[in-house]
Formats: sequence, C-alpha cells, structure tokens
Amino acid sequence: MMINKIFQKIQKADIRKFRFWIQLFLFVIFVYGGYVAIDVGREIPVFSCGYDREAGGVCYFMSLQHQLARPWERLFSGASLGVLSAFGVFILWFIVFNKAWCGYACPLGTMQDWITALRKRLRIPYSTYSEESFKSLKKIKYIFLLIVILFPLLIGAGLLDPEWRGGFCKMCPGRLITPMFVGDFSQWSIDFSSKTAIFLTTFGIAFTVVFFVGSFIKKRFFCFFCPMSAMHYIFSPFALLKLKKDGEKCTKCGDCYRVCDMQIWDIADDVKSRDILRDDCIFCLKCVAACPEEDALQVDIVKWAIFKSTKGGFAKRMGFEDETE
Amino acid sequence: MKQNEQPEKAARRVRKVENQKARHQRHEAMEALKMLDALRHDFSKPLSSMDYFYELFEKVYCRREKLHSAKPMVGTLCIQIPYEIIYAMDAVPVRLCNGFHTNEQSGGEFMPAKSCSLVKATLGMLKQEDIPGVDKLDYLVHPTTCDQKTKSISMVEEIGYDVYHMEFPRVKESEESREYWRRTIRKFTKDLSKDLGRKINRRSLKSAIQKVGKAQVAYHRLNELRKLKSVPILGKDIFLITNAFFFDDIERWTEMTLAVCSEVEARVKEEVSAAGKRSPRILYTGSPPIFPNLKLPYMIEQADGVIVADESCSANRLFNDMVSVDEWFMYDMVDAVADRYLKGCTCPIFTKNDDRKRRLKELIESYNVDGVVYQSFAGCQVYEMEQRSIQQQMEALGIPMLYVETDYSPGQGGQLSTRIEAFMESLKVKNRRKQEG
Repeated sequence: MMINKIFQKIQKADIRKFRFWIQLFLFVIFVYGGYVAIDVGREIPVFSCGYDREAGGVCYFMSLQHQLARPWERLFSGASLGVLSAFGVFILWFIVFNKAWCGYACPLGTMQDWITALRKRLRIPYSTYSEESFKSLKKIKYIFLLIVILFPLLIGAGLLDPEWRGGFCKMCPGRLITPMFVGDFSQWSIDFSSKTAIFLTTFGIAFTVVFFVGSFIKKRFFCFFCPMSAMHYIFSPFALLKLKKDGEKCTKCGDCYRVCDMQIWDIADDVKSRDILRDDCIFCLKCVAACPEEDALQVDIVKWAIFKSTKGGFAKRMGFEDETE
Repeated sequence: MKQNEQPEKAARRVRKVENQKARHQRHEAMEALKMLDALRHDFSKPLSSMDYFYELFEKVYCRREKLHSAKPMVGTLCIQIPYEIIYAMDAVPVRLCNGFHTNEQSGGEFMPAKSCSLVKATLGMLKQEDIPGVDKLDYLVHPTTCDQKTKSISMVEEIGYDVYHMEFPRVKESEESREYWRRTIRKFTKDLSKDLGRKINRRSLKSAIQKVGKAQVAYHRLNELRKLKSVPILGKDIFLITNAFFFDDIERWTEMTLAVCSEVEARVKEEVSAAGKRSPRILYTGSPPIFPNLKLPYMIEQADGVIVADESCSANRLFNDMVSVDEWFMYDMVDAVADRYLKGCTCPIFTKNDDRKRRLKELIESYNVDGVVYQSFAGCQVYEMEQRSIQQQMEALGIPMLYVETDYSPGQGGQLSTRIEAFMESLKVKNRRKQEG
C-alpha cells in the first residue's frame, strides 16, 4: 500500500527538477571530487576528464587508450589481466545504469544542458537536423570510437607513430573545458612539437569551439558525436536499466519525439520494438514524462517498472490538471 | 350562392407566407427537438448533469440563442484546425460540420448525388447563413483534408464567404509532411493574428494550450469510466457532450463535463449501470455522428447495445492526442500544437491506415469490446474504401463487425434498426455461448 503510494507519487514527479539536482550533484563529484579526496576510479563510463587534476573519477577512455597502446607481446600476455579487470569495472558501472550515465552523470552532458538553459533564457529557438544529415552525422561517433580503440592498438603494433598516444583525448573538448572549472586553462594551447601534435591539439581547440557554438543552437549537440555513447550502445542489451515501449499503446502522436534532445525518430515511430533504446539515446527520460498514453513507455530495472508514462503524470507536468482536485 | 362566396372569402383571408429562412429554422428546430426528446426520454436512468447539454442544444438549435458575444468567431470546417491558436487570440472556434437533414437537402444542389452527407449539410447550412450559436462568422478556415471538403472550398466561396485555405498533407509518416504542416500552422498563426487584428503571445498561447488540455483531461476522465464492467454512462450521452464541444464556451464545457464525471463516478460507487447486464459492448467507428444525426448511436443503445468506445472525429479523435511542449516559447508551442493535429490523427484520408487499425485494436482490448459498428456516409469514399481492411482486421481479431452505409435521411429508419437489432442479438448469443462453453 505504502509502496504503491510512493510509486504513484513518482509517476507524477517533475522529472526535470529531479534530473537537474542529480546532474548538479554528480557534476560536483566528478569535477571537484578531488578536493575532498573522492575517487571513484578510472573506469567511469562518462566524459569525466582526467586532465582535471581534481577529478573525482576519470573517463574510461583515458585508461583504455593507455592500456591498449602497450606493445602487442605485453598486451596479449598475462600482464594484461589489469586491462581485463578495468574493462570489467567499466562494464559493471555501465550495466547498472545503462545510458542514464549520459543523461544524468556526464559532466560534459550537464554542461550542454546548462548552455541550453542559457539559450532558453535568451528565448532563442533551437535547431534540429534534417533527416538526411541526421543519418549521415550519426555515424561520426563510430569513427571516433574506432580512433579510441584502433589507434592505440596500431601504436602497440608499431604501425602508428606514438605521437598518436591518447589521440582521442587530445581531440576531445572535455580536455579543454573540464579543467577550466578548477581554474586550469593550460590545455588551451597548441603543441608545436610535431605535426601530429599540432593537428591533434588544433583539432581539440576547434572541436571545443564547435562544442560551445553547437550546443548553444542544438540541444545536446556533442552527444551526437560521442564515442562513449557508441560504446554504451554495444553493451546496452545487457544493461539492467531498460527503456521499454509498448507499441500497441502508442498512438504515434510524436509527443516523445518532440521533447527528445537527440531527435530520435524511433521513439515515436517504431511500434514494434520492445526495447526502444537507440544509440543516440541519453536516457534522460523526457520522453517518458512527455507521453500521454498510460504505460506506453516505461523504465524498468531488471523486471520492475520504476517510471511509467501515465495520463495523470502527463497532465500534471503540462499544467492540465484540474485545480479543484 | 355558395359558389360565389368562396373566392371572396379566399381573398379576405390573410395569408402568412413564411420566408425561407424562418421555414428552414423551423425545420431545423423540429429535427433537433425530435432527436433531443428521443435521447432524453427513451432511456431509463437519465443523468441529471446531462440536462445542461440537452438545454444547450435546445437553446442553440430551437430557441436560436447566441452563445458568445463580442469575441471574433472563427468557423472551422474540420477537426484539423488548431483550437489552441484560435483561443490564444481570444477568439472562439466554432466547428461547422453539420448533421441536419434539412441542410443536407439544401446543400445537395452543390454536390453530385452520391456524396458525403456531412459536406452537403455543411454547405447547406452556410448557404442558409444559419450558424449555430453565433451571430456571424468573422473568419472561416477550411483545410484540404478529404477530397470532398477540399473541392467544396470553392463552393463555399461561391456562396459568398471569404475562406482561409489551410493546406494539409495526405501522408503523415514522412518528415517532409511534418515540416509542411508545421509551416502551414506557423503561417496560419501569423495570418489569423493579422486578419483579426489580435495579438498572440507566449502567455496567451500557453494558457490556451492548458485550457484545451484541461478539456481533454475532463473527457479522458469520463471516458475511462466506460472501461468498467458495468458501464455507468451511455454512448449517446458521450456523443452529445463531445458534439457540444463544437460550439460551447470551452471553460463552461469543461466544468459541465466534470460535473457529469462526478455524477457518473457516484453512480459507479452505488453500482448503478446505465446498460443491461448482457448488453453487448460496442465500439463505434467511421463517419462522425453529428447532432442531430445521432440516429445510429440511438438505435444501437435502443437495441440494448452500449457504446463503450468510439473512434470518430466528432468524439474520441477530438480529444485523444495532447500537446506536449518542451520549451514554453512561441517557437516551440506553435510547432507542438501543429504536431498534435497531424501525427496521431487516424483520419482515413491518409495513405496508410495502420494507426487507425492499431487504435481500434487497442480500444477493443482496453474497453473489452464485443462488436464493432462501422458507419460510412454514403459517398464518403475514404471510409468506404477503408472498410475492407478494417473488416479483415476484425476477422483476424475475432470481433464481429457491422458495416452500415447511411445518410441523414430519416427514411432509412426501419430497415437500419432491424439490422442493428439483429447484430445486437447475434452478439448476445455469441456471448452466452462463450459463457456456457
């Protein structure tokens, strides 16, 4: 009875506020955690950048690139047990929360939401991609993922210049932006030591400028290109947290698509898939909150539903509820 | 002597010649009253909260009273014209889709013999300049939805109206159609504001969206109650309520609908059922029943059926899909309103009808439907054409379906009611067998 009541309350919750506070809390942990000796490890499945000297937990890609760049004879030996165990920790973190890491925990994602809030304050409309550019641009994150995984392996095999070590990190806007929050602006420079270094650091600065401009005009602009998002998607079928859809209850009204920061068409138009999580999804749950159909969308942990679309919840969030009640 | 007297007497007699308009209004009033009396008195256990709606129809169609004053009146000729935009300009949308046989006859001159009763009746009404509840129209919006409506735009203009042509896509799955329709609505918002000389802003649109949303929530609350095992409200009452939404003041409508909700909810507690224990539960779909052409719902429920759900543009489709806004600014709200009227729509004018089939299936399951009654106005090609695929789907689901082709003429009565009675009987027999077996 009590549990039932709490469950009903959750269904009517203002998901935006809930999300804002969780994001703020985790932002502080990841960006400033070092000040209070918080360290949740170096296998975190979000862009919590290790170049931030006070980071409370570090992006897995940093150690992954480092580990994969070992010479092959070492990489494929017993000494690499550490590589596997790090991977195991990453998977464990990821499997529990699925892509909710993106929507709730990623510092870079949170920053983009704040930039969106600024845009809203200025009452400037957001932009969207056309269907065609969406389809071609979304492939970029897989190219970045290849850079993250393949380039270190090539270095280890001696086929690529070691200058490319940590290549993606050098290109990533997280390296330039995150340290700024602890007063470190030193990453904003071009390394002239070699051609590769010039390319990588210039790319990093350019990408960061694009990050700011892009996320100002397009919601969650960077996430669309994020290799971590691509990595997540590979393992999301095994995750405990699930985003599910009951196509029979869907009217295809598109309310979920309307609020989706990532412009995922399938959330509205696919009425066949039960598991509706897509590679671009950031698991922010705005779609579930914006769905006016009872039980059409829901979030499950293992097999228990924790958040569902409801008529009542929708009405409350939209201000459609009758005051007399 | 007598022979001489007669012409003299005839000459002295004062002859009152009724003008055409008065005659038309008298006919309308007769038609309206007949249906109202039937709906009101031919069923047991009437709801007292329904009195408001009976009186509203009487006021509008019999006593010719006007409902709105001082606000601009925007006539709409389809379900696709966004109420939210019109309310945001403090204007009143009045849906003009008409259900009178009198009007069908007078509108008949414009159209081929076998064409949609609704379109004919609407043309007839416009020709008579006899708009329900309204003194005069300040604006008239006509979307290019079905062929007959689209082609009738020029006829409405011929009668002498200025018509706003609203372009509507006939494919709704594509991204192009979404963008096309959003552009139509953005343009409409600008044009209407300019033509009426009324401003629309963030605050007024937000409150209009919420006003309409509240009306929808009220309807949904009432509709939910029809899922119950013993149905506490008859479909004829629901149709009357949703029909009133065409012209009534929206806030009063919401208030009165909530009053009906409260009464029905009280009934549920007392376990009072509006229908019989064995009354077959009917899903109504097809051409819209519009007052006073409620003969089909009336016949179904007179034959001991109970309409528990419907899929038509004079009821369910008016309220079903709701606006969802991400950023409460004009740029997002106008697009959000546009989406509501296109994406979820189950009108048969679209190329595909998968969404309509899925809606029907969902309604059948959640309202525990025994049989489907599919009405198509004779000459309504899109509903006639979809009948086949819906029939096949119903066969696959094992749900009996009765297909009826009707128009607004009262002459069909006997034959039609016999068919409906037979259908209800067969459903009852089927149910009994299911219980026994």
